[in-house]
Amino acid sequence: MKIFTNIQLAATIALTHMRSRLKQTIIATVGVIFGITMFIFMISMIQGINDFLRNIAFEQSPHLRLYNEMQSSPGTILDKVQSQTINIVDHTKPKDVSPALKDGKQVIQLLQDDPRVLAVSGSIKAQVFYRLGSSTINGTINGIVFEDENALFKLQSKLLEGSFQELATTPNSMVMGVNLAKRLNVKTGDQLLLTTEKGNNFYVTVAGIFKTGMSDIDKQESYASLNTVQRFLEVPAAYITDIKIKLHDMEQAPAFCQELQTKYGFQGSDWRQDNAAIVDGDAFRNFMVYGVSITILLVAGFGIFNILTMMIYEKMKDIAILKAMGFSNGDIRRIFLIQAIIIGSIGALLGLGFGLLATYGISQMPYKSDVMITMDHFPVNYSIAYYISGFSFGIITTTLAGYLPSRKASRLDPITILRG
Amino acid sequence: MNLIEVRNINKYFQQPAKMQVLSDVSFDMEKGKLISITGKSGSGKSTLLYLLSTMDTNFEGSIRINQEEMKGKSNPWLADFRNHHIGFVFQFHYLLPEFTVLRNVMLPALKLAKYSREETEHHAMDLLRLLGVADQAHKRASLLSGGQQQRVAIARALINEPLIIMGDEPTGNLDSYNSDVVFDLFKKLSAEKGQTILMVTHDEDIAGRSDQTIHLVDGKIDRIN
Repeated sequence: MKIFTNIQLAATIALTHMRSRLKQTIIATVGVIFGITMFIFMISMIQGINDFLRNIAFEQSPHLRLYNEMQSSPGTILDKVQSQTINIVDHTKPKDVSPALKDGKQVIQLLQDDPRVLAVSGSIKAQVFYRLGSSTINGTINGIVFEDENALFKLQSKLLEGSFQELATTPNSMVMGVNLAKRLNVKTGDQLLLTTEKGNNFYVTVAGIFKTGMSDIDKQESYASLNTVQRFLEVPAAYITDIKIKLHDMEQAPAFCQELQTKYGFQGSDWRQDNAAIVDGDAFRNFMVYGVSITILLVAGFGIFNILTMMIYEKMKDIAILKAMGFSNGDIRRIFLIQAIIIGSIGALLGLGFGLLATYGISQMPYKSDVMITMDHFPVNYSIAYYISGFSFGIITTTLAGYLPSRKASRLDPITILRG
Repeated sequence: MNLIEVRNINKYFQQPAKMQVLSDVSFDMEKGKLISITGKSGSGKSTLLYLLSTMDTNFEGSIRINQEEMKGKSNPWLADFRNHHIGFVFQFHYLLPEFTVLRNVMLPALKLAKYSREETEHHAMDLLRLLGVADQAHKRASLLSGGQQQRVAIARALINEPLIIMGDEPTGNLDSYNSDVVFDLFKKLSAEKGQTILMVTHDEDIAGRSDQTIHLVDGKIDRIN
């Protein structure tokens, strides 16, 4: 009870002090407001951009992928047979590994029943040449089952013209990336020539054009039905080269990937490996935001430190008088600490408000993305966590900034002041 | 019964060079008296007062006030003791300039938190009336004249009805009319309310009119009359 009245009394004295130094108090508060506003604004914006980039990348990449890859054999067979001697074999060639996944279709069926798996799609990836007139462009053709692939990558939303459904109904049809179409100068309904690795040529019709936003994909990839590609490659209907999986919880991907690799003997990689640059980029950008914001808050903290230190020099007599009246060192410290905390909380709260306004403002700014078809405004993230950490930051820095001057005030010797 | 018992006090200043300010000072003070401490400047009279004020804790010897030993007590304990039992009046009035006169007087009582805010305010107004500055109650303290400020400071010293009122040259900065007013008031308080007044002064006239005078020379008690 006593401590409560003490704090109340300290607060009234603190408020009177602040009222008498209104201008300086406001300037110190504005410093904190600015710091917190910038923090909220920057982190919301940068996180918005991060989310946006992640979305593009992750919509385009599965949580994990299973495939076979050409590998050079680890040693020669001679080393196994005559391990005691030095064997020299010139020009060893890589082992001829079929890129096909053995029993791929069965694996897909098993995966579909796995409770961790959200969606799974088997497909073929093959190198081809697109030819039209004199232009020859190499690229990749994906043989897909549209429904499965759409469940993973929302292909439908990336379609600019034509239709994916036609892939299944029209023989020798394909949907190609927008930049590829531009380079070949074709549009929906046009025909072009496709040359496979083995040198077989097929006429195909463009059934549609898509745009993912990832230029590597848009300028060289195309989709056709699984059957069509199998026919182009002269392989049986069981032939698939890739299994792509989306999980309910993407954080489980690395562990699940390991499990599948050992179970089926395929190679695999997860989204973290596939998108290492983006994951790292996120961390760096966040680091930058926190760095800049903490710097701004530190500057604001110095402002508070200054105003309180000045206040204490001006109020030395008052401090001595209060001590003579019966205010303890702790009471004096509280008076000045409360000033810092008041400046800090008002600054932090207003800062959150302004930050929210600024964030809202930028989110309303029209921003025509060349990448995301669906986006027309600047991306921002309104996560409550930033507001909580912004507020805590504000309070902590201002309290720290107030602590040193107030401790100094509490240690002032009243006698030297009173004796003059 | 002695209100203050001082035994064998030695006090040193460390700055700029180690120097003994008070040596082997011992005396007793009775309750309800008006006591002056006199001496030339540098004789240690203010130092003695501030030791008795409990604000200076760095000394050798023993000070007992109201049967309590002051040596070795913590800062919050001493602050609380001052709040309850000691009122201060200084040469330079030392009001808190941003607060109103009334608030200045109320502050020690609000700190004591013995009475409600309304009672405290009522009590403070009574004191201001007693000292003839009630009409200034709602002005800011810095706007008052020197004599008025000193009266407000006295009201503030009185608000918690302390056992002892200490003054460091309380009349030193006042004209002769105001200093008579202040001195007469102190006289009246000690006579009527039984409060002990202890003040440092170099005014021979005022010292002569006190109940008791402690005269210091070079940090030693020269005579007590």
